[in-house]
Amino acid sequence: MQRPTPTRKFATTPGTRDVLPPEAGRLLDVQARIRERFRLFGFGEVLTPALEYSEVIEEPRLRDASFKLFDPDNQMVMLRPEMTTPIARLVAQRLARSPSPRKLSYFLPVYRRASVGRGQSAELYQAGVEVVGSRSPQEDASTIALLVDVMTSLGLRAPEDFAVVLGHATFYRAYLEYASPEAAPAVMRALAAKDLVGVERLVADLPEGVAAGARDIPRLVGPAVNGEVLKKAARYASGADEALGALENLQEILRHLEAYGGLEAVILDLGLVGRHDYYTGALFEAYAAGLGFTVANGGRYDNLLSRFGMDLPATGFAIYLERLLSVLPEGDPTPLLVLVGGGLDGTRAAGALREMGVPTLHLAEDLAPEEAVRYARSVDAAWVCYPSENGLELAPARGDAPFEALGVEDVAGRVLGREVIRG
Amino acid sequence: MKRLRIAVPKGAIFEDALRALDSAGLPVEVVRENGRRLVYEAGGFEFIVSRPTDVPVFVEYGAADVGIVGKDVLEEGRPNVVELLDLGTGWCRMILAAPSARAEEVREAIGHAEVVHVATKFPNTARRYFEGMGRQAEIIALHGSIELAPLVGLAECIVDLTATGTTLRENDLAVLDEISTSTARLIANRGAYRLRNAEIAALVDAMQKEGLPLG
Repeated sequence: MQRPTPTRKFATTPGTRDVLPPEAGRLLDVQARIRERFRLFGFGEVLTPALEYSEVIEEPRLRDASFKLFDPDNQMVMLRPEMTTPIARLVAQRLARSPSPRKLSYFLPVYRRASVGRGQSAELYQAGVEVVGSRSPQEDASTIALLVDVMTSLGLRAPEDFAVVLGHATFYRAYLEYASPEAAPAVMRALAAKDLVGVERLVADLPEGVAAGARDIPRLVGPAVNGEVLKKAARYASGADEALGALENLQEILRHLEAYGGLEAVILDLGLVGRHDYYTGALFEAYAAGLGFTVANGGRYDNLLSRFGMDLPATGFAIYLERLLSVLPEGDPTPLLVLVGGGLDGTRAAGALREMGVPTLHLAEDLAPEEAVRYARSVDAAWVCYPSENGLELAPARGDAPFEALGVEDVAGRVLGREVIRG
Repeated sequence: MKRLRIAVPKGAIFEDALRALDSAGLPVEVVRENGRRLVYEAGGFEFIVSRPTDVPVFVEYGAADVGIVGKDVLEEGRPNVVELLDLGTGWCRMILAAPSARAEEVREAIGHAEVVHVATKFPNTARRYFEGMGRQAEIIALHGSIELAPLVGLAECIVDLTATGTTLRENDLAVLDEISTSTARLIANRGAYRLRNAEIAALVDAMQKEGLPLG
């Protein structure tokens, strides 16, 4: 048989996709559970337009990655490649007079041109929070604690299933500027590119007293609970006051995280400095066992708001929902029953079942049992049911169990897995 | 605990990579013994063997925790991985070369910002090199036998790797410029590097004690 040539323009564009049941349902369920946690921490949800003026986004990497188009005034606009900047704009424009801190959350997709061959999506569903207007390390700690809370409430355990890797944008930079101001920019560039070999090469010629620190600090990685990493870092940094200040900031964050009960989930990495010139303090990335990419990332960005005319410190994070979904343990599917035909009796039975809380998909056509079972499997329904003279005939959609005559309440009980009494 | 999975490249640096792992005390004998398998398990480790250009792909996606690959491959693909250690082996250089008879002509053409045709297996490296100099080039990406391109008029010059220069001499190609040098590197997945840091740091330490990199 010859296959027809598919029409390319009827496919989805590269990097985008349709999300079908049951995956779409799972994605939205996860979103709903995260929304609960965000609300529990007092965050208010906002919606922003998918399109922003291209000037709003400043970072070259994100500008390059974004989809651009022109509005009716011939102005260049972008599909938002991330949410932090639109929220900074929103705060500066709409919430300039409201008291700090503004605690905002969002559940929206962002758009980036997928890099070919790297399998990255062009449309990424994100959930995130931003805390705008507080410099307190307690706010850094509470956003990290919220992230840990979200991951834990979705059934992931730390540190086996996931960890939040915590670094600092200024500790190592301040140490370098103290140790060797000339070498600092090149070393920071190499470290931002995660090139530890390049870092070693660049610091090899530094004076003996500072070379060891410059070489070893970016490789200090370890669980936050045992305090080793910070102790070693403090030894290297003695004398470098700004660097020690950054360490104290980290320590303060960890103290609060301990009070939150989230310290177990944290791995310190003093080589984590983030993208060039974006983060200004503590920053973090969440990783899950078995997934090579970040599940979430965030940190403190005290300079972003000044672009919009407000000098406000801020911190926050974004979760990549599809990546998070891919590492979650598979939950039980919601029970669904396919009720087949039956005319008016069928309609009445469907009404009665739904009243008792049974998700019921009622088909108008009187399908034969094997067709009904095939249909039920195609929609992930666990049960198939026919109206009969004195009740219903029920069978599971999988396995060979025969149809069984039952009353409506018994059917509801079977499907929902508990006793149901009609009210 | 899951085994630490290590991606080893086929080809020129295969032996160097195995030696480096061997001297760090890893049970690499299984990889040498049977050349037909795709995945080898021994002790607390799992080895996979792939094309050099695919090693960073396995590592970036987390399908391998760590890998060994030439710096040239990293420069070309710029994968989002952590570069941990210079093994010092597999030294080679990325060069711009042209047929000896026309070398001066090509050099002048480039100098005058004329558009030259460049055949290469490393299109990104070549493009960045010419852009960095403010010179113009039409990059022709090939998958092998780069030296053939200038001989049959597909390109005026090539950007390619050379270790000894033998291939260049055999095909009467002259080096116009050295773009960079490369050695084998140990790389790690970003997540694995943090989540399994104790194991990976121990591996780095063990490999560092052997065959120290030059300069």
